Amino acid sequence: MDEAAGDLKQALPNVCDSVQIHVEVHQKSNSTTKKEDIRLSVLKLLNRHNIVFGDYTWTEFDDGFLNNNVQSVSIVDTELKLKERQPINLSKCNLSIHIFHLNDEGPSSENLEEENEDIVAANHWVLPTVEFHGLWESLVYDSEVKSHLLDYVMTTLLFSDKNVDSNLISWNRVVLLHGPPGTGKTSLCKALAQKLAIRLSYRYRYGQLIEINSHSLFSKWFSESGKLVTKMFQKIQEFIDDKDALVFVLIDEVESLTAARSAFRAGTEPSDAIRVVNAVLTQIDQIKRYPNVVILTTSNITEKIDMAFVDRADIKQYIGPPSAAAVFRIYFSCLEELMKRQIIYPRQQLLTLRELEMIGYVENNVSRLSLVLKDIAWKSEGLSGRVLRKLPFLAHALYIQCPSVTMATFLQALSLVVDKQFEERMKLADCS
Amino acid sequence: MALWGSGLPGPEAEGARSSHDAPRRRPFKSGPGLRRQRPRQKMAGPGRQERTADLLQSETVEAPAVTPALAVGRSGPAAFSSSQGSGCRSVSVVFPGSVTQQGCCRFACELLKHVLYQRHQLPLPYEQLACFYRRALPRQPQDGDAVKKKPHTTDSGSSRKGQQVLKELEGVFWHLEALFNLTLVPRILILLGGNAMSPKELYEINLEGISVGNAEESLQTPSCVRKIFHSLFLSDVFSELQVVPVMGTIVMVQGHRDCGIDWFRPKLNYKVPMRGRKLTVNLSCGGNGSAGASSQQGVTSAWDNYIWFQAPVTVKGFHE
Repeated sequence: MDEAAGDLKQALPNVCDSVQIHVEVHQKSNSTTKKEDIRLSVLKLLNRHNIVFGDYTWTEFDDGFLNNNVQSVSIVDTELKLKERQPINLSKCNLSIHIFHLNDEGPSSENLEEENEDIVAANHWVLPTVEFHGLWESLVYDSEVKSHLLDYVMTTLLFSDKNVDSNLISWNRVVLLHGPPGTGKTSLCKALAQKLAIRLSYRYRYGQLIEINSHSLFSKWFSESGKLVTKMFQKIQEFIDDKDALVFVLIDEVESLTAARSAFRAGTEPSDAIRVVNAVLTQIDQIKRYPNVVILTTSNITEKIDMAFVDRADIKQYIGPPSAAAVFRIYFSCLEELMKRQIIYPRQQLLTLRELEMIGYVENNVSRLSLVLKDIAWKSEGLSGRVLRKLPFLAHALYIQCPSVTMATFLQALSLVVDKQFEERMKLADCS
Repeated sequence: MALWGSGLPGPEAEGARSSHDAPRRRPFKSGPGLRRQRPRQKMAGPGRQERTADLLQSETVEAPAVTPALAVGRSGPAAFSSSQGSGCRSVSVVFPGSVTQQGCCRFACELLKHVLYQRHQLPLPYEQLACFYRRALPRQPQDGDAVKKKPHTTDSGSSRKGQQVLKELEGVFWHLEALFNLTLVPRILILLGGNAMSPKELYEINLEGISVGNAEESLQTPSCVRKIFHSLFLSDVFSELQVVPVMGTIVMVQGHRDCGIDWFRPKLNYKVPMRGRKLTVNLSCGGNGSAGASSQQGVTSAWDNYIWFQAPVTVKGFHE
């Protein structure tokens, strides 16, 4: 007992240690070079540029070898660990370099063969995939949601590695993200899977993300639904049996599979649905003992979920609409993209919220546009991430309609479209 | 070890029809009722027996390496074995001499065509499809059968799909040839369904035991192809499989890291999957024939420089 505890203490990340910095190296899709060679070159590169401020990405290199073989070298997620933006001395840090290739195939479907029909029961990605590239970075949250989730999975793996007795300390490998629609729960699940597939590439050759279509697991035959769920999990079991794969099971809108059984007593739900809940619960208990699986679930209506499932979720993370500061960052990234594509032209340097704070929100030539953006962000509070991400598009479609526009004009349009969004909301509320 | 499938034909089936390229152009049917009967296949009832006879006929005529005893099929030939694992079988073919690198490419292509047809991803054998869809290929169907009247061209949707599949396959064949010219290829995978990491069915062509020689001292490629199909047929690997829906087919090829091919995508992390049904076709060169041939065994020390490449197209099967 004591020995195991000592082991664990050593293995857990020690806060006093030097900071862990993750470097993600995206290898070109046609590069066949050995990872070790790339690692050496990247280390040389990082030696030359050993002070960075926060996240940084290199896409061009003076080294011909890197130019030929590497798409980008990124120092990532420094803000998750370091609260303050400060210079990071890479030579003093603990560097972990993750080299990965992206898979460019889209999702494949996983079928369940029923007697004479074929049900597409799940979509299935091999990670890391092109489709989710950059998704993690595009998700903006205030609290440390992202680092919590990463740390959670890391601890899960650590406990499995160290053979912690799961009868004494139990963990279920289930994450439940809940909150209003459009806040990026599903995206976060996908991005997390992608991120972990990259981070853990040293021990798993690849990741598999299986997105279950909950509705397809309900059979038209009475009493068959429970069996379909079991079949689905048998398929998943096959993936888990491959020890080289890290398997993520994503159940979107999990309330449809795990509706509260207490509601059935009212007689409004058919008893077939109870069997589904029971099947899901027992299957989750089955697969939780495998070290290479994580179950990610999302829900809009938590109160409808069966308590037995909620209990099984280790992390129940609320994902709310973004705060004003997060809105600012979302707009900021949108505008950066539009400038990169030269729809907003000429390029204007915008200040981040932190930089604005440092100059005390004083209006001058440098800060004027950024302050306008800040005002827009503040009045946009309450809109969901999904709405926010489409507002720049709507602004262009409704108020601009020309191929290139200045930043000032665009911000005006953005402001108008935010007002319009709230107006529409009011109207909808009046109707209902 | 049970070597024979259930429906082994008797030797007395009439062998009047001579079809030299039977294994390629008209892969033998795997069993009655397994596939929809096609107008092309004139002999309706026990067509399999007849076709078998064709095959054996051509085999005994053209490939002297196969003994008559093998053709009769009453004794176990040494040329192949089939392991009776649950979802895992293998067929071994030993050539009595070296083969050319182009020959190896041809084996792979023919096996790919064969698998696609046998596993219901193509409605007709590849060559016949090519014949229909490319009028440029003016090959007259033999026996005046009714293929031309088939409404391929009227159904534009399926026609377009067919054209697409043929184009993709042609691309794969072309690039395979290019790859074979650049590097030794120890293994090829044909993956059906699912994705590259977890296919539903997996066909592995293992060329590790092949001795590559130049054209003069090597065996004739067509006779080797026939030998492969003969062994495949005898081991009866396709008949017990169920009909499958249309799926995607992925082709993976192992080649040298620095071979410089750019069409195929390198997959450094790839590992041959364990999941799914698997058939291994082991091709090797035995006998005393190839003294001067460069054996692939010689490069085993550098085997770790051979990595997997994936063809960047997924050939989507289609039905008429």
